[in-house]
Amino acid sequence: ARRKDDDKQPPKMSTPTTFWRLAGMSYMQYVNRAASCVTKALKEPAKSKALARSDFSYNASVWEAGTQGTKTNVTTFSAAGK
Amino acid sequence: VELVTHNMYERRRLACRMPMQKWMINVRVCIYISMLVYMYVHCSLSPVSPVSLVHRLIVIHTAVAVAQAALHLTTQNRMMMLSRSVLSASSRRLAVKAFMSTEAGAAGTMTLNFNLPHESVYSGAQVKQVIVPGAEGEFGVTADHVPLVAQLKAGVLQIIHEEGSEPEKYFVPGGFSLTHENSTTDISCPNAVKLDDIDSAAVTSGFEAAKAAYASAEAGSVAQAEAQIDIDVNRALGNAIGLSLV
Repeated sequence: ARRKDDDKQPPKMSTPTTFWRLAGMSYMQYVNRAASCVTKALKEPAKSKALARSDFSYNASVWEAGTQGTKTNVTTFSAAGK
Repeated sequence: VELVTHNMYERRRLACRMPMQKWMINVRVCIYISMLVYMYVHCSLSPVSPVSLVHRLIVIHTAVAVAQAALHLTTQNRMMMLSRSVLSASSRRLAVKAFMSTEAGAAGTMTLNFNLPHESVYSGAQVKQVIVPGAEGEFGVTADHVPLVAQLKAGVLQIIHEEGSEPEKYFVPGGFSLTHENSTTDISCPNAVKLDDIDSAAVTSGFEAAKAAYASAEAGSVAQAEAQIDIDVNRALGNAIGLSLV
């Protein structure tokens, strides 16, 4: 489900702080980016095991006026939230 | 706290923290009053001239002042100094006790809880030392370490299980290390990989790609920040496996 304030970005900071805060990233985004960088640098079979951990899949549908719309299967981040 | 009193005596009494000091003031006042009474009685009982009376008054007042001063210097000040040093020493001891951890495990070991979101690597393990890659610098934690919260940077976490044994190494991209008062350390990371699982070719190519992305990204954008993260983490990965990426 989407919330009303999903489109609002976190405030961009200008006071002395880390470069990722200045760019508008949160700590979670920073540390998850670093973790995915480590995963990309792994050898097989550790790499496929690590990539399998971040696999996901769910069925999404939009409700309007009390009726459920069509269900779509979401498996990638780019398709999520639409 | 405002002392709403105009009586100097009352103010002096209230300013004294220890009850002994208050008693001392009463004693001084009693001595003063008794001296005055003695002087009055002595003078009224014996027939003397006004000059000698004045002389006697001055002598007795001076004696009283000297006695007051002596009492003040010897008892009050020393007591006040004593109480101040006692208070500071006890408060210092309390502060030291609060910050020093005292419950070391058997033979000076510490408890380690090393957790990832998908796996608990160590839970309650008794280890000798943990070397943590803190964001402000690398540091080691042993038994009885001062409580500490540290953000981690991308680097190698080393766990020394026994005195003199080879450290067990994990590469972590980040996370937090919390050392508690009872010689327990909690380390939480999003991921931890063994150094043998790191592919040096992938690290080098990732580093070069990140440098190119950084150069082509807009200044201050999220893309540039992400490229910077990739550069930092790949450089740390290279350092962990013996490459020196520039």
